[in-house]
Amino acid sequence: MSDFNTQKDKYVTFKSGHEYYGIKIQYVNEIIVYQEITEIPESESYIKGLINLRGKIIPVIDVRLRFKQEPIPYTDRTCIIVLNVDNTVVGLIVEKIAEVVEIQEENILPSPTIGNTDKPQNVFVQSIGKVGDSVKLLLDPEKLLNDEDKLLIESVNEEENTEEEGE
Amino acid sequence: MGDGFNTEDMLDVYLFENSQLLEQLQDIVLEQKDEACFDEDSVNEIFRTMHTIKGSSGVMMFENITEVSHKLEDIFFYLRESKPKNVPHLELVEHVLNVADFITNEMGKIQNGEIADGDTTEIMEKLDKFLDSIKGGKKSKEKVIKENVHEEPQQFYLAPMATSKSHFYKIYLTYQPEIQLANIHAYKMVYALKEIAEDILYFPEDIVSNELSADEILENGFKILLQTQSTEEDIRGIIQVGYDIEKVDIYECSAKEFQQGFDSVGSEIRIDLEGDFESIDKKEKSEEPKPVLKEKEPMAPGDFVIESKGPGKAKKLAKDKPRKSEKANFISVDVKKMDMLMDLIGELVISESVVLQNPDLKVPGLKLDNFNKAAGQMAKISTDLQNVIMSMRMMPLLNTFQKMNRIVFDVSRKLGKDIEFEMIGENTEVDKNIIEHISDPLMHLVRNAVDHGIEPNEERVAKGKVEKGKVTLSAKNESGKVWISVTDNGGGLNRDKIIAKAKKQGIWDYTRDEHSYTDKEIYQFITLPGFSTNENVTEYSGRGVGMDVVVSNIQAIGGTLEIESTPGEGSVMNLKIPTLAIIDGIVMEVGKSSFVIETGMVKEFVGLQENMLVQEPDGEEFVMIRGECFPVLRLGEWYNIRDYQVDLENCMLVIVEVEKKSFCLLVDRLRGKQEIVVKPIPDYIKKVKGLSGCTQLGDGSIALILDVAGMVE
Repeated sequence: MSDFNTQKDKYVTFKSGHEYYGIKIQYVNEIIVYQEITEIPESESYIKGLINLRGKIIPVIDVRLRFKQEPIPYTDRTCIIVLNVDNTVVGLIVEKIAEVVEIQEENILPSPTIGNTDKPQNVFVQSIGKVGDSVKLLLDPEKLLNDEDKLLIESVNEEENTEEEGE
Repeated sequence: MGDGFNTEDMLDVYLFENSQLLEQLQDIVLEQKDEACFDEDSVNEIFRTMHTIKGSSGVMMFENITEVSHKLEDIFFYLRESKPKNVPHLELVEHVLNVADFITNEMGKIQNGEIADGDTTEIMEKLDKFLDSIKGGKKSKEKVIKENVHEEPQQFYLAPMATSKSHFYKIYLTYQPEIQLANIHAYKMVYALKEIAEDILYFPEDIVSNELSADEILENGFKILLQTQSTEEDIRGIIQVGYDIEKVDIYECSAKEFQQGFDSVGSEIRIDLEGDFESIDKKEKSEEPKPVLKEKEPMAPGDFVIESKGPGKAKKLAKDKPRKSEKANFISVDVKKMDMLMDLIGELVISESVVLQNPDLKVPGLKLDNFNKAAGQMAKISTDLQNVIMSMRMMPLLNTFQKMNRIVFDVSRKLGKDIEFEMIGENTEVDKNIIEHISDPLMHLVRNAVDHGIEPNEERVAKGKVEKGKVTLSAKNESGKVWISVTDNGGGLNRDKIIAKAKKQGIWDYTRDEHSYTDKEIYQFITLPGFSTNENVTEYSGRGVGMDVVVSNIQAIGGTLEIESTPGEGSVMNLKIPTLAIIDGIVMEVGKSSFVIETGMVKEFVGLQENMLVQEPDGEEFVMIRGECFPVLRLGEWYNIRDYQVDLENCMLVIVEVEKKSFCLLVDRLRGKQEIVVKPIPDYIKKVKGLSGCTQLGDGSIALILDVAGMVE
């Protein structure tokens, strides 16, 4: 329990474009520097490929591409946040790691819905956290990783099945 | 802590040991199921197994297991002692298997923390009936057997005192001092005496396994205790003073003396016998409960004594085969730990290559002789380490196959079919992971083969086939894959029936001509969900859930199922499963990506010249090599890889062959041959056609493994 408590209300924040995003620290396994990525053919554009994390092979996705923004060339500040969501380990490539902040529950607001739904990244924003004067967009890791993908995978499977049956 | 027992641990040991015993038991039973009866060794072995299970279950207070195992023990006790003729062997086999099932089931409950509450009434009734039936009218024996019930759950040994006609002899043999290998001579004698013996004991007892016993025999003579119906003359007829034996002394003795073993026989010389102290100790210890029990049961012909284990051991040896070779020592380890170890070794190999190929070493003028020597040594050790961990994960298929044997037996008995089961290549070693996954699919296939594949006996005879059906299970390791096939010599698949059913189920593609379907395509129908050609649902199969589950299970571990069938001659189900372990692969590059192809798939490499390529109007490319024409697949184009080599002169053609189809892959360059550890592509990434996994190369980068068979499709 003590582990849980020390992690409570803490968020890893990173910068992407002009905005700062936060992810609950429980979901974060570790943060590693950018490393060589092996591309996987025929996969979604935001899935950059595979990396070798000390013998474990994990997929990595680019957060900017996930938000359907223009990609930014990788620099030495580029980091990979290794997320573990429901035992799926996925690396998240971010432009720059900011800090770990504590955001009390009372400072977290539901994400404003007015007029913003057309922005793709808002699909992944769960809520908004206030830290002093600045604002962090808190992400829903599950949506970030899965959601539409899952649907997509399912639909792909269905397609395959129907193809097979048709043969 | 007060009771001083860690029951958890005890329970674990109990479950582990018993499950192993039961497995052994099944093996023995199934091995001899086709014989007329169990041989003596098996009867003894089954008896002992049941005895042990009964004992330990008694200690653990699992009463129903104790009860059932006790009853079966009684039966085998009777078989062993009275050697009744005309025992319905198959019925007996079934009883043994039923008991084994019952106990396994109960143990399963215990393992899951439930109460072992299985009802024994039915099984006990059956066993009782069976015991009565084999006993026939011999009432006198019955009373005796009942006494067995009083036995404590300790390791006691039941020694027979046989009938009143039996005589007991002490035989002392003195061998010529110049005889070589006196122990072998002694064993020959024991062997000869077994013909007439009801029971035989000898000393020294380790004559087969211990060469030093030869000296003992020469020095102190060879002593035999014999229980037989024959007379002294008969014995003298067998044991003749000859070139090897100098002197034979035969004394008749009482039953009591006999059952005391060598306590009395060897007492005067025991002191100076090497290595015998232990057994004396044992005897003394085991003596303690003995007097009590003995007093309860006065000695009489036709009665039994309960003898402690010490002397019993010697007896047990007497009718045993020569001791089995040393048993392998096993420990069970959590698979997770093994995986961790394997990952760590993988990392070690990578970091090793990082060290050995470190750019710092490339400074000109550096003297690296000693370094290179040490590096070579290290590389060797890490390769060995890798091999060892791989072999640790490998297990023979034997156990899985034997389970199938059981299924064939059960199902064929119930269906009244006479079926022979053959195993080929059961010692093929595969990754433990695979074993776990193929057990269920295999079971299905075997069951199908017995149920649907093999026709009923009458039908077989009518067709002029051998009456006995045959199911063959075979396994082999080839080009990095395990091939397992289930073959039956039954009726084969009925093409028309399958077509009719496919039409009925609405999965038939009417746009295609019936004849344009290949047999293979037709047979694939039966792997679709809900498809069963069997009109009658039987207990074992026919509900149409099965083949699709089999296929999906096999696909889950990257395997495939192929069906071959010849009408009237039977069908073959071929499973092809990649071994998850190490494969030998060729590493090649396209653009910045690395790919690996299993070495076994590659036929040859060809340097390419522009004029070798032939392009068809529809864009398909072919290459002519020595008059043969191969389709060409540009890997870079196929996967839309950036920056791949477009200058054909610099490219490499890899000719691959899979399932007798050949084609060429066009790659940028070859990097070398390497042993690679196959890892699955994370589930997060959807399956890509033609990729079967990934691996890390020596420099830590990742290469994708090409599934050539998948590309062909």
